[in-house]
Amino acid sequence: MLFSSIGFLFRFLPVFMLIYLIAPARFRNLVLLVGSLIFYGAGEPYFVLLLVFSVTANYGLSRCMFRKPPFSGKARGRKKAVWRRSVLIAALILDFGILFVFKYWDFTADTVNTLAGRGILPFLRLTLPLGISFYTFQMVSYQIDCYHGTITEPAGFVPFAAYVSMFPQLVAGPIVRYQDVESRMRSRRIGVRNLENGLKLFTAGLGLKVLLANQIGTLWNVIMSAGAGSLHAAVAWLGAAAYSFQIYFDFWGYSLMAAGLGKMLGFKIPENFNAPYASHSVSEFWRRWHITLGRWFRDYVYFPMGGSRRGRLRTVFNLFVVWACTGLWHGADWNFLLWGMLFFVILILEKNIYGERIEKTKVLGHLYTLALIPVTWVVFAVTDMKQLTAYLGNMFGIHGTKILVGIPQLIRYLQEYGILLLVCFLFITPFPSRIYRRFRDRWYMAAALLVVFWFSVYEIMQGSNNPFLYFRF
Amino acid sequence: MKKKDPKADAKGDRKGRSIKDKGQKKSGRLAETLYNCPYLIAVSVTAILVMIRSDQIGVKAIAREFQGAAERIESCVSAETGGPNMENPDPVPDREAAAAETDSMEIDPENTDSINQNEGTCKDEKDETTNDKELNNDNADGEDTAGDPENSTENTGNIGKSEIDSEKDTPKGVTRFELYAPQEIDSYYYSDAGKVALTTEYPYAKENISYFNDAAFLGDSRTLGISDYAGLDEADFYCENGMTIYKILEPEGVTYQKTGDKVDLSQVLKQKRYGKIYIMLGMNELGYGNTAMYLEQYRAVVEQIKEWQPGAVIYIMANLHVSREMNNLQTEFNNININDKNAAAALLANGTDVFYLDANPLFTDAEGFLDSELTFDGVHLYAKHYDVWRDFLMEHAVQTGDAAGEDAAQPEGAGGEDAAPTRDAAGEDTVQTGGAAGEDTVQPGAAGPTGENL
Repeated sequence: MLFSSIGFLFRFLPVFMLIYLIAPARFRNLVLLVGSLIFYGAGEPYFVLLLVFSVTANYGLSRCMFRKPPFSGKARGRKKAVWRRSVLIAALILDFGILFVFKYWDFTADTVNTLAGRGILPFLRLTLPLGISFYTFQMVSYQIDCYHGTITEPAGFVPFAAYVSMFPQLVAGPIVRYQDVESRMRSRRIGVRNLENGLKLFTAGLGLKVLLANQIGTLWNVIMSAGAGSLHAAVAWLGAAAYSFQIYFDFWGYSLMAAGLGKMLGFKIPENFNAPYASHSVSEFWRRWHITLGRWFRDYVYFPMGGSRRGRLRTVFNLFVVWACTGLWHGADWNFLLWGMLFFVILILEKNIYGERIEKTKVLGHLYTLALIPVTWVVFAVTDMKQLTAYLGNMFGIHGTKILVGIPQLIRYLQEYGILLLVCFLFITPFPSRIYRRFRDRWYMAAALLVVFWFSVYEIMQGSNNPFLYFRF
Repeated sequence: MKKKDPKADAKGDRKGRSIKDKGQKKSGRLAETLYNCPYLIAVSVTAILVMIRSDQIGVKAIAREFQGAAERIESCVSAETGGPNMENPDPVPDREAAAAETDSMEIDPENTDSINQNEGTCKDEKDETTNDKELNNDNADGEDTAGDPENSTENTGNIGKSEIDSEKDTPKGVTRFELYAPQEIDSYYYSDAGKVALTTEYPYAKENISYFNDAAFLGDSRTLGISDYAGLDEADFYCENGMTIYKILEPEGVTYQKTGDKVDLSQVLKQKRYGKIYIMLGMNELGYGNTAMYLEQYRAVVEQIKEWQPGAVIYIMANLHVSREMNNLQTEFNNININDKNAAAALLANGTDVFYLDANPLFTDAEGFLDSELTFDGVHLYAKHYDVWRDFLMEHAVQTGDAAGEDAAQPEGAGGEDAAPTRDAAGEDTVQTGGAAGEDTVQPGAAGPTGENL
C-alpha cells in the first residue's frame, strides 16, 4: 500500500488512527504491530509471512544473546563472549542470507555463469519483497547493538516487532535504530499537537511526492522513451535534471510522510534529508542525503572496520567496501555497483585533493555539486549498460546515431515543464523547509497545506481513475 | 478522524499553557485544544464531507468495492462448479462466439448516450455488467475454450498468418480478422475481441516521401513520435499527449505541430484539403468508456471527416501494443484491450476509402508484445525506430487519382461523394465477408495473441 493512494489515505489511515487512539496505552504497540502487518499484507499477501518469520527468528536470537550460555564451567566470561558472538553471527547469516537469496541470488548466478561460460547456478527469479532492504538493516542494527551492549535491556516481543514493522518506515525507510524509538515504545503520549504537526508534515511529503516527483518524472520518462543515443546534449542534461528532481522529491516526500506519520503515532522518526542538493561538495551531499542509511553504513561497517584510524591505505579500502555495499544495497546490478564506485572515487579525490578548496568557494562548490550529482543519477537510473554509455555520451556531445531529439523538442519540453522545473529548483534550496518551520503554526500555512492535500488527492484520483493519465500517451 | 479531538485532555502541551489550563474548566481546555489544531480539524471535516459526498472515494465507493469483491468471490465459486464443462477444447464454435461479439458491438452503442463518465458511473457500470454477462453467456454457449487461459496460451505460439495469406484470390479491399479463443474479461471497459484485425488487403503502391505532402495525421503521443522522428516534415500533424477519439474534433482543439498552437480540427478540416488522413487513437481510451462507445465515436469521426474531406483516403492505424512489462491484466492497460479497440476500429475499414493498417507485426514479438528492445517505457518506440514505421506507411500507400485534387479526388473504383451511402453499405458488407473469409481460413489451434500473452 502506498502512502499516496486513496486506499491508504481514506481507508487504512483513518480507521487505524481511530483504533490506535481509542485503544488503551498498553495495547498501542500491539495495535501498531497488527495494523502494520495489515498494511504490509495488503500489498504483499505472501511476503508478510516472510516478514513475520524474520522478525520472530531475530527476536528469538536477540533474546539468546541476553541469556546465559547453555554451557557452563570455568572461564564463564570468555565463554559468554563466544556465545554472544556466535548468536550474532547466526543472526547476521539469517538476515543477510534471506536478503541475499531474494535480492542478490540472480545477480550472483548471472555473474558466475558468465564467468564460467556455462550455467552453473540456476536462476530463482524471485520477486523482491517490499522493503526487505530496509527492515533487514533495522534488524541487523538491533542485533549488533545488542551484541555491543548499546541496547542493555532486551525489548519485549511486541515492541520489537512493532519497531521493525512499523508501517510509516517499513517499506522505504528511514532506517530507524531501536534506540531512536526505545523510550517511546515504553510509553508515549499522543497530544493533539503531535497529530496536528504530524499531519502537516505528512501533507508536505505527500505534496512533494504527488505534485512534484510524479509530475517531473514524466519528463524523464519522455526523454528516455525517445531513446538514449539520439539526444542532443542539452536534452540529455535536462533529462538528468528531471530524474534528479524526481528521485529527490520522491524519496524526500516519502521520508517526510514517514516522519509525519511517526509523529502522529507518538514517535520521533529521524530526519532523512537535509537539502542535499544545496551542498558544496559530494561529501557534504552524502551527509545530507538519506542520512539514516549513511549513518548505518558508518556505524555498522565503516567504524567496525577501523574507519580512518588505521592508516591511509586501510581508510581507502574501508571506503571502497562501504561504497561498494552502498551501491549494491540500492539494487543488484552492475550499474549500481558502478554508481557506488563513482562516489568512492569522487570522495577519495575530495578527501585528498580538492575537497577543501571547493568547499571554501561557495559558488564553485554549488556548481560542482549540481553538475556532478545528475551524472551520478544517470548511472543510477539506467540499468542497461549499452544505454547508459549512450546516454552519458549524449550528455557530453558524443553521438552514435544522428541527433533525433534536438532543439525543437527541447523547446517544447521547456514550454511544457518550464514552470515545474522552476518550482523544483526552488524546492531543492533549504528555503522551503525554513519557511515551513517558521510559519508552521500560522493559519495561512494550514490553509496552504489544505490546498496541497486536496490537490494531491485530486491528482491521485486522476491517476487511479485513468491509470495512464500518469503517462499521458 | 474527528474522534481525535477528545484526546485533548491528554495533550502534551509544551508551551507552558498547561499551568494556566489547570484552573480552567474542561470545556475551556477543549476549546483551546481545538484552537490549537486548525489543520487537523480542517482536514478531518473536509475528509468527512468528501467521504459522504464523493462517488469515487467516499462511502459509496467503499460499498461498491465490497460489492465488487463479493461478486468476484461469487463468480469464482460458480466458475469452479462450472469448471469441468469448460475443459473441452473445441475450436469450431469460435466463429459463433466472434459473430455474437460483433453483433453485440453493433447493439451496444445504444448505451452511448450515457457516456458521461463522472455522473452515474455506478449505474452505467451496472448496465454494462449485465451487458457483459449476456455477452459472456453468449460466449459460453458457443465456445468452450473461453476463460481457459492455459488452453489459449498453448495456442498462441503460432500466430499463423500463412493460412490466410495463402488465399490470394479474394477480392481486394477486404479487412480480415484472425480468430482465436477469447478469454473471459470482467471489465467495464473492454472484453476480449477474440480476433485480430489484419491490414486491409489491397494492392498498395510503394510511394516516396512526397506522398505525405498532402497528408494529415491525427493522434496521441505515439503519433507525436511519428511527427518528431519519422522525418515526414511536409505532413500536417494534429496530435498531443492524452488525445482521444472523443476529443479530437472538439472545439478545445488539438496541437498543430507545425506551429505549436491549438487548432480546432473541425474548422481546419472544413477549410484545408487533404489527400490522406491517418488516424491513430485508442490508447487514452483504454480506461475511458468502453469499446462499443469507442467504435461509435470512431465511426462518427470517420463519417465527419469523410464529409469534410470528400475524396481523401482515411487510414485507420492500429494502436501499437505494449511490452510484456507494461501489459497489466489487473488494469485496463493491456494488449487484450488494445486489440479489442483495434478490432473495433478495423470494422470501419471498407477497402475503398477507409483502410486499416496494422504496424504491430513490425514491432511485436511472437506473443504480440511490443519488443522491449525497442522501447524504454513499454509504450513508445525509441526515436530511431520510427523510420521503420514510416517505411511501412510508404509501402502501404493507396493511390488516389488526383491526390490533392479539390473535388474530384477519388480513391480507386468507388464512386464520388454522392455514392457515400452505397460505399458505406459496401463497407459493412466487406466487414462481414472479411470476417467470414477469415473464419473459413481459421484452423483449429491457429490463434492470435490471447489471454496472458497479449
